[in-house]
Amino acid sequence: MLVSLVIPILWGEYYTLPALLVSAVIPLGIGRLLYRRFSDAEAPGRFHGMIVAASGWFSVGIFGSLPFLLIAWSVQLGVPGATTPAQTATLAAFTEPLNAVFESMSGFTGTGLTMTDNEEVLPRTLQWWRTFSEWIGGVGVIVLTTAILSRPGSGSLTLYESEARSEKIHPSIVSTVRTIWWIFILFTFVSILALWLAGMPIWGAINHGMTGLATGGFSITDNSIATYDSALIDFVLIPIMLLGSIAFPVHYLILQGDLRNFYSDLQTRWVFGYMGIGSALLWSFLYYAGPYETPFAALRYGLFQFVSAATCTGFQTAVDSTNVALGRWPSYAQLTVTFGMFVGGAAGSTAGGIKLIRGLTLAKGIRYQIADVFYPETAVRRLKINGRRLNEEEASREFMEAAIIVVLWITFLVVGTFVLLLTLPSGEYSLANVVFEVASAQGNVGLSSGITGPESLPEIGKIAFLFHMWIGRLEIIPVLVMLRTIFKRGGLYQ
Amino acid sequence: MKLRNVPVVSYVFEAGADDRVFDSLLLVGPIVIGVIVVLDRSLFTEALAVAYLAVFVTYVLYQGIQE
Repeated sequence: MLVSLVIPILWGEYYTLPALLVSAVIPLGIGRLLYRRFSDAEAPGRFHGMIVAASGWFSVGIFGSLPFLLIAWSVQLGVPGATTPAQTATLAAFTEPLNAVFESMSGFTGTGLTMTDNEEVLPRTLQWWRTFSEWIGGVGVIVLTTAILSRPGSGSLTLYESEARSEKIHPSIVSTVRTIWWIFILFTFVSILALWLAGMPIWGAINHGMTGLATGGFSITDNSIATYDSALIDFVLIPIMLLGSIAFPVHYLILQGDLRNFYSDLQTRWVFGYMGIGSALLWSFLYYAGPYETPFAALRYGLFQFVSAATCTGFQTAVDSTNVALGRWPSYAQLTVTFGMFVGGAAGSTAGGIKLIRGLTLAKGIRYQIADVFYPETAVRRLKINGRRLNEEEASREFMEAAIIVVLWITFLVVGTFVLLLTLPSGEYSLANVVFEVASAQGNVGLSSGITGPESLPEIGKIAFLFHMWIGRLEIIPVLVMLRTIFKRGGLYQ
Repeated sequence: MKLRNVPVVSYVFEAGADDRVFDSLLLVGPIVIGVIVVLDRSLFTEALAVAYLAVFVTYVLYQGIQE
């Protein structure tokens, strides 16, 4: 948070400095206090790692809301000795703590759904803070999946194995985190410069480069990427979003010259494969039966929106001011985009959704189980996933793990849809709109069919979406483990 | 004092793909962006950005061919 103090100084927004300082000192003080209190705690195991990840992400979401809340109130009440601008309806929305927490959680989970109705009028400091939260959250989730929750089958162990340090867990984690930062920062510079060369102003390029790579999707403009109305910018953003949705251990190998990973790694192959198929399908819906009259327009908006959804970025080019808003696309086109959000990108990347490896494990596992009928009982069979040959027990375990996540994901999607249908004004939104919005929150995507907003989304909906974004980012299980522990310790669950 | 002993540089050298070209790109990146922020869009700054991206892409491909 202290790093962000540079922005108000550069932009002359001195009235935000006290708010930022207080926002930095509060978590720092609480952190120091907890560190002292629990400094003699025993070494954490994987179970503790899950609880720390779940509670940590929640806490970061809460503390990250302080700049929104305090800057909004600073402008509302004025800051002695500093000139404050006139209050805007957009900034005033953050005087409500729930809106501030929503924005922060959306940022740190890399979702991108927003409580602002016009990002352009926000102070530059808050525009930066939104971007920075997604960027940090992006690195956080890679670290989480590659270092903390890594397990065979998730593609997360490659980095350890390539460094031949798998036997030393702690040094390996530190080294892994450094390497992830190294790759992420290098790609950020490349993304910023590519966007700037495509014609985006430098402030926009810095913000969109960071949120694009982090597959977060926050924008500094009112109409997201549609504001620029530039086909070149749209097409430059596609590889940036794809970079974010490829597993970072694979990036590491590619940067070492092993380009074969583009096709030899199962997830990376499918990042291109299923995004190609999905985009082609969406293009055909939008051109032959949908709202676009030229093949190029259908390609431009279809390709961008499918990649934006499937990489879980959430940048939007389909808006009414330049073409046809996503919420007014035909239902089957919206559901195609929803499917992209559901599957998501590769495990070990910044993308959300159920992750490609789980989808592929399920598909291969189902085929394996069905084919089992045709083999004699004595046959020794192996399930091959991403070059690994799994025996029956391993195959069953990985299949089960993928199935549990998918079932939980769908269950929470259905529950969230019911909650939203019950709380939204009846008849205002279609079922496709509601499913789309909940999938967007839970998949950490951020595309909106128009439901999310400070006024349009009821309080219960905001709270439900906070939960969806949280569980979506942590792949559900750590949150359930944490809740179970709390209930069990509190005597509520026996 | 050797270059690799400078605090930021040593962090960059210790992490990542252990490759001096990528390390250099990482170290030069903020300078290039800083120059663009100060000088705004011009032939010089565009050439600088193109050169940065060209080195990155060309070197990734070169590494792949070498492998």
